[in-house]
Amino acid sequence: MKKAQIYHYILAIILIVFFLGPVIYIIFSSFKPSSELFSASPTFFPRSFTLDSYVEAFKKGNFLTYIGNSFIVAISSTALAVVINTMSGYALAKFKFKGDAFIMMIILSTIMLPLEVIMVPIFSVLKTLGMYNSLLALIIPAAATPTGIFLMRQYLVTIPDDIIQSARIDGASEWKIFTRIIVPNAKPAIATLAIFSFMWRWNDYIWPLIAISSPKKYTLQLAIANMSGQYGSDYSSILATSAISMIPMLVVFLVFQKQFVQGTVNSGMKG
Amino acid sequence: MKKFVLLLTLLLAVSFLAGCNGTKTLQMLWWSDGTEGTVMQELLDEYEVETGVIIELVPIAYNDYEARLATMISGGEAPALARVTEGHLNNFQDKILSLEGVYDETGFTNLFFNSDGDVISLPMDITANGLFVNMDLLDEYYVDYPTGDDDVWTWTEFETEMSKLDGDNVAAPGLYDHQGHRFMSVIYQAGITVWDEAYTTSNLKSAAAQGAVQRMMDFYDDGFLGSDTYITKDSASLFKTGTYGFHFSGNWNVSNYSSADLNFEWAVLPMPEGVTRGTILGGKSLAAFDDSGMEKEAKAFIEWMSEGEQHDQYTGGVPYLTPRLGATVDYGDFADQYAVFLDEIAATDASYVQDWLDMVMIPGMYPLINDFAEAVALNPNNKTALQLLTDLETALKAVAPTE
Repeated sequence: MKKAQIYHYILAIILIVFFLGPVIYIIFSSFKPSSELFSASPTFFPRSFTLDSYVEAFKKGNFLTYIGNSFIVAISSTALAVVINTMSGYALAKFKFKGDAFIMMIILSTIMLPLEVIMVPIFSVLKTLGMYNSLLALIIPAAATPTGIFLMRQYLVTIPDDIIQSARIDGASEWKIFTRIIVPNAKPAIATLAIFSFMWRWNDYIWPLIAISSPKKYTLQLAIANMSGQYGSDYSSILATSAISMIPMLVVFLVFQKQFVQGTVNSGMKG
Repeated sequence: MKKFVLLLTLLLAVSFLAGCNGTKTLQMLWWSDGTEGTVMQELLDEYEVETGVIIELVPIAYNDYEARLATMISGGEAPALARVTEGHLNNFQDKILSLEGVYDETGFTNLFFNSDGDVISLPMDITANGLFVNMDLLDEYYVDYPTGDDDVWTWTEFETEMSKLDGDNVAAPGLYDHQGHRFMSVIYQAGITVWDEAYTTSNLKSAAAQGAVQRMMDFYDDGFLGSDTYITKDSASLFKTGTYGFHFSGNWNVSNYSSADLNFEWAVLPMPEGVTRGTILGGKSLAAFDDSGMEKEAKAFIEWMSEGEQHDQYTGGVPYLTPRLGATVDYGDFADQYAVFLDEIAATDASYVQDWLDMVMIPGMYPLINDFAEAVALNPNNKTALQLLTDLETALKAVAPTE
């Protein structure tokens, strides 16, 4: 093995330990009894292995409901985001029309706006539309994001125009070109967008806190946050539910990781 | 593609249906530190059986509670009911319904009144500051501690005895909660009130106050009190490690420590006496909000909740000290611990209780005393006790009510 390769591996191992260490510590700690959690000499591995934290966490609230709500929001929102952002990215990448550059600039400039600034107007719109305290309030606002549109636009710009022109000459409709040519060629970028979108919606806390008032519609992140009271936190339950909340993200990434890497690389290429 | 569109439509339909509201229900905003939510839910279930009225308990994380309440009110979605602290009552009093005539307020203590003199809350529990100790460490290091009914440490005796806690298994002799609400007990123990004349002249720059604050500053400087509490802002979790001999906190930690399955024995002991003994009361209340559309139903529930049977079921079930005058609550396994807290309250002069009520009426008071407590502990600008007390007095007067 060459020296450079060895250094790369060493660096990779250091980074893995640095970034994954706390995550693995959370998972191991979720299997510790509460007396061991507060031990003066903390240990990485549990001295006594127990599932009590998980049992207690599930006893305290309707966790299956919260997990179900999180799945509904994350999957619906991701599906909607993929469709809308891909269509928007295609329009901005492959169609020349008056004001296209201006529209792109306006869309990108909204990235500078923090959620706290636009929260109140979005809340007012949702309330007027009767969506307050509905899972739709979590799904609809996330349907089109400037980051998603930019990601898709950048990737779709790399698809040669000749393919699209040939299809048009052959008589293909715009819808057929989009579904049969653009979407199959954009799979890496779509996978990247899907992973990010799922992650953002799965981990979302501030917006569900504002838009949802009924516990029956709580997402998992809201439920985990409620384990912290005024004077202290139920760390055992927080650890157990946090460990559970990592699983869907892990699964999504493992399934799409090949396309994710490909998409991340290709969307950085100049068109 | 068709299957994808069908699946998406189904998912959106499910989400939409999940948002559809059936029967109208009241919402009660809530946060829990232990079993409060569970006990309240039992009462709500009983209320539903009795009256047919559904009240939905909406748990919110405490750190986001006020922001959520403010958003709901400004968004026109005010909850019918909410668990509130004195700070919430102060900040939202314009939005809270008057409860005049709803229940007999003469049967309760810890009441909160709006600027018109109307009672606007139903007190649900009383909290009191107190002292928790790690009995295993105290016995190991031969610490002499009060054992009899009238046996109370002085601060000097407390420091002398607890300074014996010095070994490899001791991180620091003890902890003091980071909140200003706990800290201010030392002012009353110095034999003074904060205000000489409410919001006009204060005793904060007196020699007694300076002495009390200087003692605390020395405790932190000498490592007698662990300053980790200001890093974690969770001294209860630090105490649970078993490496601290004492923890100045409050009665809410009785059920917290009981349920935590700690690997050491703990107890509640009387707080040290300065010139006098003194604890600070706190507590949570139930309030009904205006513009919820359910004002009548909310008041009806508060009336029901104020009745002895229901109210005692709550305070005994959690358990908490009761604000209901004349009530005898069975604290069960926690009887010994609560006896000490009740003794602390009985030993606290009524003038201190009134003085603290005057403090509570100051909007934004809590952040000021929190900052003050932190400044005493960490003292980043190397100020003297007098300078810190002067800063606090100036800050309090700047925001105190003028009428």
